[in-house]
Amino acid sequence: MSFDAFPPFISAHLHFLINHFPEKIKVEHVLSGGKTFAGGLDRFTLLIPYCLDYIKWDVIYNAEFPLAPPDIIFGPEDEDFHPLHMTASVGEGDLKFQNILSDWNHKDPTRLLALIQELRDRYMAYQKKRVGEVDDDRLTFEISTICSREGIEMQISSGAEKPEEVKFAVPLMDMNINKMVHGCPWRHPQKIYLQVIYPVGKKYASTPSPPRLKLMSTTELRALFSIEDVKLPSWLDGMCMAEYLPHLEESLQKQVVEAVSLIDIRRHFIESLALLLGRPLEADPVFCRKATFLASSGSFVFLVHLLISTQFPKQQPALMLQSSQHISPQGIPKRSPLLSEYPWSPRWEASQMAERIFDFLVDESLNFKRFCNESQPQH
Amino acid sequence: MDDLALHKFAISGPTLASMIQRLLSSAADVDGLLFGHVTYIAPSTLPDDSAQTSLDSQLVATISGFLCFPSLLSFYDSLGRVDSSRLSSTTHLNHKPLIGWFSSRRKTPLRPSMREFCVTRSLSSTPNLSLPIQNSDPQSLFAPSIFLLFTTPLQDQFIQTNQYRAFHFQSSRPCFNPLSIDVVNIGPAFRGHYGSFSPTSALPFLSCESRSLTPMNEDRNEETLIGMKQTEKDQSLLDTCAEGMQVGRLSRLIGPEATNYTSGLEDLYEKMLLKTESLARLVEASSAKVLEQENQNRKLRYKVARSVGIE
Repeated sequence: MSFDAFPPFISAHLHFLINHFPEKIKVEHVLSGGKTFAGGLDRFTLLIPYCLDYIKWDVIYNAEFPLAPPDIIFGPEDEDFHPLHMTASVGEGDLKFQNILSDWNHKDPTRLLALIQELRDRYMAYQKKRVGEVDDDRLTFEISTICSREGIEMQISSGAEKPEEVKFAVPLMDMNINKMVHGCPWRHPQKIYLQVIYPVGKKYASTPSPPRLKLMSTTELRALFSIEDVKLPSWLDGMCMAEYLPHLEESLQKQVVEAVSLIDIRRHFIESLALLLGRPLEADPVFCRKATFLASSGSFVFLVHLLISTQFPKQQPALMLQSSQHISPQGIPKRSPLLSEYPWSPRWEASQMAERIFDFLVDESLNFKRFCNESQPQH
Repeated sequence: MDDLALHKFAISGPTLASMIQRLLSSAADVDGLLFGHVTYIAPSTLPDDSAQTSLDSQLVATISGFLCFPSLLSFYDSLGRVDSSRLSSTTHLNHKPLIGWFSSRRKTPLRPSMREFCVTRSLSSTPNLSLPIQNSDPQSLFAPSIFLLFTTPLQDQFIQTNQYRAFHFQSSRPCFNPLSIDVVNIGPAFRGHYGSFSPTSALPFLSCESRSLTPMNEDRNEETLIGMKQTEKDQSLLDTCAEGMQVGRLSRLIGPEATNYTSGLEDLYEKMLLKTESLARLVEASSAKVLEQENQNRKLRYKVARSVGIE
C-alpha cells in the first residue's frame, strides 16, 4: 500500500509498526478526519493477529495536532476493555505503559509499535481474566493445567445469537522450523497451532460435549508441510488438553521432520531429470516444489512445468506442457491441461522416475503438438 | 457516590444545531464542555392508581450551553486525566454548572475510545464539580458524567450526515450507559417540555418604586444621594440586558403611570433587541479575530507535522 497520503510522522510510525511487529499486521479503512483533505490521512483500522483470528482496533491520529498521541477505539465486543483504567496500585508495567502516552514524541517512529504491543499484552491479560471468570468446572481445570504453556492465547466469544464459547490457540512443538529449512526465506517464524473451542457447559448437562479441534498453521508453512493432510487423534470422553497434546505433538514433530527430509528427495529427483532434459530453466531452490525444463520434439519446442506436492514421492508430480510456438488469439501461449495420470510408483529410484517421465513426455509431446496445430486458426 | 439513574437527556433544537454547525466548521477533531442542569420531572401522564408515588419522577439532564475548545488535550492530558485548574477558569467564565463533555471526530466508529473513557471517568470523579439536582433535596448531587459523541459515517455520503450518541457514565461499574436524547423544539407539540427549561439570562431584580428625583428637595439631600447611587447601580444592571433604557422609565410600567403600559413594554423589548444586536456585532468581530488566529496556528502546526519528513 502507498503511504504517501499520510503526513510524514504517521507514515513513519506505521512503516515501523508493520515492519517490526512479530506477526503480520494489516491496515484497513484508511481515512482522513479533516474538514478538507488538506491535512492528509490520519485514521485507520489495524487488524492485529490474536488467538488465530484478528482483532480490529481503530487508531485515530489527528493530522492537525501531531503532538497529541493517537487514540484507540476497541472492538464492539470488548467494551469492558479499559487498558488505561488506573487501579489503586500502579505497578511498574503501568508506569511504563503510561509513559508511552504521556511522553509521546511524534518524531520517534517506534512509538506506535510500542503502544500497540503494550495494548495487545493488556488485551491478552484481559481475555485471560474473562476466561478465568467463566463458571465451568472443566474450563477451570483446563486453565489450571495448561496456563503455564508459553504463548497460549485465549478468547471468550459470546453473542446474542450464539452460545458462549472459549477459544484457545495452543502453539505446538517447541521447535524452530525456520532453522530446519536450509536457505529459509520466511520473515516471520512459522508455527503450527491447535485451535480448541470449548462450549461453556450448561450446569444441567451430564457429560460435557467434546471441544472442537482444528490444526492451523502460518500461511507460508504450506510450501513445506500441508496441515490439511494431518489426521488428528480422536478426543476421548473425559480427556483434557494436557493428556491430548503430548501425543499430537510427538506425531506432528515426526511429520515435520519428514517433510523437511522430503525437500532433499525432491531436489534429487529434479537433478535426475536434469540428466535427461538438460538444466532446468527455473527451479524452486528452497522447497524444490516447482521446476521448468525446455524440451523439444523435432522442431517443436515447448516448456515442461513440474509441480511437485509435499506428498512426493507418494503423489506423482503434475506436469504441464506449454508451447513456445503457438499463441492463442488472446495472446497467451498454448498450454496442456495438468497431467497427473501416467505410470508411476513411489518405490522407484529417482533415476527411474526421471526415465519414466521422459518416456511419457516423448509420447505426450506428439499429442500436444497435434493439439496445438489443430486449434491454431487457419490462415 | 451512588450512581443516579438518569432517564434521558434533553437539548433544545437550536443548541444542538449550533453545536453541529460548530463541529462541522472545525478543521479537525474537537471537543468541549457541556453546561446545563439536572431536574426531577414528574411524568406528564398522571397515573390513575394513587398507589404510585413521586418515586416515579424521572431524572432529566438538560443541556443549555456548550464550550468548544480549538484544540485537543485542552482540559485533560494524553492519559485522559482532567486538569481541574484549567477547568475551573473556563467554568467560572460561564457561571453555569458543568454536566459533562463532548467529543467530535470524523469518520470513526460511534463508540467511546480509550481516552474518552478515561476523560469521562476522571471528570465525573473530580471533586467540587458536582451540581445540585433541582426539585430535589439539597444533599443529592449530580457528577458531570454525561458524554456526547459526534461522528460522521466512514463512507462519504451524498447527504451531509452526522451521527451522535449520548452516554451516562456509571462510576460504580465503571461503564457507559447509552442515554436517550430528547431534542426539544418550539411548537405546540413540545409545550410540555418547557417545564424543565429555565431562562439562562433573566432580567435582573430592580427596585422600581417611583421615586421623586427633583433636586429642589434640599432637606432630603442625603437620601437622594443614596437613591442616586441605587439608581446608578440599577442602571448598570439594566444595561447588561437592554441598550439605552433609562431605569426611571421602568417605573412607568407599574403604578398610576402604567396607562402607557404597552408602548413602554414595547420600548423595553426594542431596547433589549438593540442590546442583542450590538452583542452579535461584537461576537462577529471577535470571531473574525479568532478565525484569523486559528488559521495562523494551523499553519504553524502543519510546519511541525511536516518537519519530521525533512529532518
